[in-house]
Amino acid sequence: MNNDQTQPLEYSTEQNNLNILGFWIFIGAEIMLFATLFASYFLLENRTGGGPAGEEIFTISPVMLETFILLTSSFTIGLGVHAMRLGRQKAMQVFFTVTLLLGLAFIGLEIYEFTHYVHEGAALQTSGFTSILLTTLGTHGAHVTFGLFWGLFILIQIKKRGLTPETTNKSFIFSLYWHFLDVVWIFIFSFVYLKGMM
Amino acid sequence: MKELFPRKQLLGFVSSLILTIVALLVYFLDFSFTVGLTILLITAFTQAALQLVVFMHAGETKDRGAIYTNIYYGIIIALLTIFGSLLALAWGYV
Amino acid sequence: MEFFERFAIPHPSPAIYASMVAIGLTVIAIIVGLTYFKKWGYLWREWITTVDHKRIGIMYLISALLMLFRGGVDAIMMRAQLAVPENTLLDSQHYNEIFSTHGVVMIIFMAMPFIIALMNYIVPLQIGARDVAFPRLNALSFWLFFMGAMLFNISFVIGGSPDAGWTSYFPLAGNEFSKSVGTNYYMIAIQIAGLGTLMTGINFIATILKMRAPGMTLMKMPMFTWSALITNIIIVFAFPVLTVALAMGTMDRLFATHFFTTGNGGMDMLWANLFWVWGHPEVYILILPAFGVYSEVIPTFARRNLYGYRSMVWSMVIICLLSFLVWVHHFFTMGQGALVNSIFSITTMAIAVPTGIKIFNWLFTLWKGKIRITTPMLYSLLFIPIFTIGGVTGVMLAMSAADYQYHNTMFLVAHFHLVIIPGVVFAMLAGLTYWWPKMFGFMLNERIGKWAAWLIGIGTCVAFFPMFISGLDGQARRMFTYSEATGFGIWNMIAFFGAIMLAVGFVLIVYNIYYSTRYASRDIPADPWDARSLEWATHSPVPEYNFAITPDVNSRDAFWNHKKNNQKLFKGDYQEIHMPNNSGVPFIMSALFFVFGFAMVFSVWILAIISAIGIFACMGHRSLEKDHGHHLSVDHIKETEEKLGGANS
Repeated sequence: MNNDQTQPLEYSTEQNNLNILGFWIFIGAEIMLFATLFASYFLLENRTGGGPAGEEIFTISPVMLETFILLTSSFTIGLGVHAMRLGRQKAMQVFFTVTLLLGLAFIGLEIYEFTHYVHEGAALQTSGFTSILLTTLGTHGAHVTFGLFWGLFILIQIKKRGLTPETTNKSFIFSLYWHFLDVVWIFIFSFVYLKGMM
Repeated sequence: MKELFPRKQLLGFVSSLILTIVALLVYFLDFSFTVGLTILLITAFTQAALQLVVFMHAGETKDRGAIYTNIYYGIIIALLTIFGSLLALAWGYV
Repeated sequence: MEFFERFAIPHPSPAIYASMVAIGLTVIAIIVGLTYFKKWGYLWREWITTVDHKRIGIMYLISALLMLFRGGVDAIMMRAQLAVPENTLLDSQHYNEIFSTHGVVMIIFMAMPFIIALMNYIVPLQIGARDVAFPRLNALSFWLFFMGAMLFNISFVIGGSPDAGWTSYFPLAGNEFSKSVGTNYYMIAIQIAGLGTLMTGINFIATILKMRAPGMTLMKMPMFTWSALITNIIIVFAFPVLTVALAMGTMDRLFATHFFTTGNGGMDMLWANLFWVWGHPEVYILILPAFGVYSEVIPTFARRNLYGYRSMVWSMVIICLLSFLVWVHHFFTMGQGALVNSIFSITTMAIAVPTGIKIFNWLFTLWKGKIRITTPMLYSLLFIPIFTIGGVTGVMLAMSAADYQYHNTMFLVAHFHLVIIPGVVFAMLAGLTYWWPKMFGFMLNERIGKWAAWLIGIGTCVAFFPMFISGLDGQARRMFTYSEATGFGIWNMIAFFGAIMLAVGFVLIVYNIYYSTRYASRDIPADPWDARSLEWATHSPVPEYNFAITPDVNSRDAFWNHKKNNQKLFKGDYQEIHMPNNSGVPFIMSALFFVFGFAMVFSVWILAIISAIGIFACMGHRSLEKDHGHHLSVDHIKETEEKLGGANS
């Protein structure tokens, strides 16, 4: 395995470069996945059947809080990658841990939000609108939840094995995933919530 | 690259906060639908671009051509799918 | 006992019971055979756990051929049922099930694995790579596809077949009208196979972009590799749409959501829309690799370089974009306005242009070529005229106003079969015959092969041309019978004869494989066709590391120039080669997916949760595992090369 010393560790081997490019292509697929959900959302948005419409159930405060939490987590994982490139393992671990905790808080809020919706009479089975709303949010939430476990596994490996070409590669790819989820949330925030409450 | 202070990340974070607050104005102030949606479109896509370039380092290696092509292509197909579906099933449905 | 009632067949017949017995006996025979010949270890070590792209390719190939026969039997039953008016061979329910599974099996479980088989085997060789970018992921892709296919295929003996057509339009596919678990099978089995396909897509884009031999720029890639690249790009961007649509359909059926229902704000047309947003690019996913095969076969046997390389590439790039812009033409009659239909009519006609360019390029390649009619070439020559007829009738269908006449008639059925069979099936058979010596080290018999090609070529015309007429006369597709007064009888009888010819052709291909395996000479050169691209520069069959020395490429026809103009292809000495390790995890994980899928189909939630945990455990294992692969020593390589007859440098 050739090690290229001029590059950050996560790019230092041929396989590492392949992994990163492969993950970018996967992000392309994820773009289409969420685009399909958005297309369906826009089509079903006003088809509320006998159930409530968006503006009747959305509340701004949890949504705002979720948004700022996720933006901050995106910032902290950015700092984590920055620390990683400086070779500061401790700082990196701290930033990654903070990121995951913020992610956990986000999921907690989202669960609260979902129970609120169900309480308001907007369950998954209520109407076309609630089905697609909860599915779109749920798909994003499931991605974040998966990310929590993934991030935890990476933290364990960093702790056990230190910053190697492999662990840094995994961490960097995980950061891509996390930032991407933030991007998706920005679109959900803008075109599901804000547009719905406008 | 080697600097200790994460200037780029901080700048990115601050701009994304500002953009979020601008987007929130749509809720707190009373805009027409068109103006509101325009603001949201601008803030959302700017933020996405910011994440892509600042945090995801999309352009940092020699694979940048492939990465950007991939993302642009994805965005184009995504928009075509969304607007095409709206056209076929909502707007063009007389 | 009540628990087990759900596994019963809702609409049984003696044929299905006979199939159950046959499947049971086959499984027992395989188990006994493997145990008796002590082959379990061999199977596990050499095949189930393999991450070698060549072996995975061969496993895809075997699966595709098996599924070709499953789908083929469905087709023969349909043609037999329709051969005479008022036939009672099948009842309407069985007919529904058969045309549904015929479509799914042929597209998802036959054509897809067939193209992926050839891509797996050939693409890394054509670009001079050791393997694909992510060998372990490649194994996972295959096993997910395989388990998806198996899950789909057990539907007709456990719980009932899907019966809402291969497109499974809602509301027909909803719980109200499709009461059996058949459509659950459809949703979940295709989902599992689709995940595998998506991974293949990512894997091959990374491979082709980053693992080409030194000197092979994008514009020096062989055309089959180009077609594979474009195909995989379309896969990556089209399959997520199907993933979402299937997930929504599954939720509608299992969790009573309202995506595609007719009440409570559901939108049944949304399914058709999403299905075809995936479905039309899927058509190009199938056809482009086929075009790639023809672009390899025709120059080889016309003994000329491919005419219009650049325009070939550009036409594929344009198709890559346009294929996402035409999907509405599948439902022109659904009620959207004239403006929408006009837009999609125009995009549809536009996409015929790059395809036409390709046809002309092949014709110009043949022009003044020194043509050798071999079996692969015969398929290619049969392809051009038949495909053109299929394509031109496609342009007829593209005119939305006229489409109101053709829509859902046998005219449409004739059109898409005359595109897909010469486009995909002929190409896959041509590719199979062409690359067979590379894969197995002996050639298929040419005489039997040509007989099969003629039978299949003529059979295709005889089977599908009559449908143009009966379709224009008003015969609707998916009708299980018709009255004598309609006058469709004669055309359907002719089509039945065509189907028989096709069947005989396919049986001949199997016989050819058997015959050649037994009698063909093993003493063949590495390059028996006098071909042009890199895969012929290594031994046949290919050693596990593909090339002892990575080839150096400096022209489009590097291997040809190496042979004819003495350009050196292999420079330097043997070096240690890094190889990936085998792993059983992809198989185990996919088997868990099978269990998960099965549990979901029958709503056995506990089992679904347990298997889902198992799937995540496999991912966790993969994350924590250290796997650095292994190295082949220089001595080992030397030994292998000498045994195979020395490096041909």
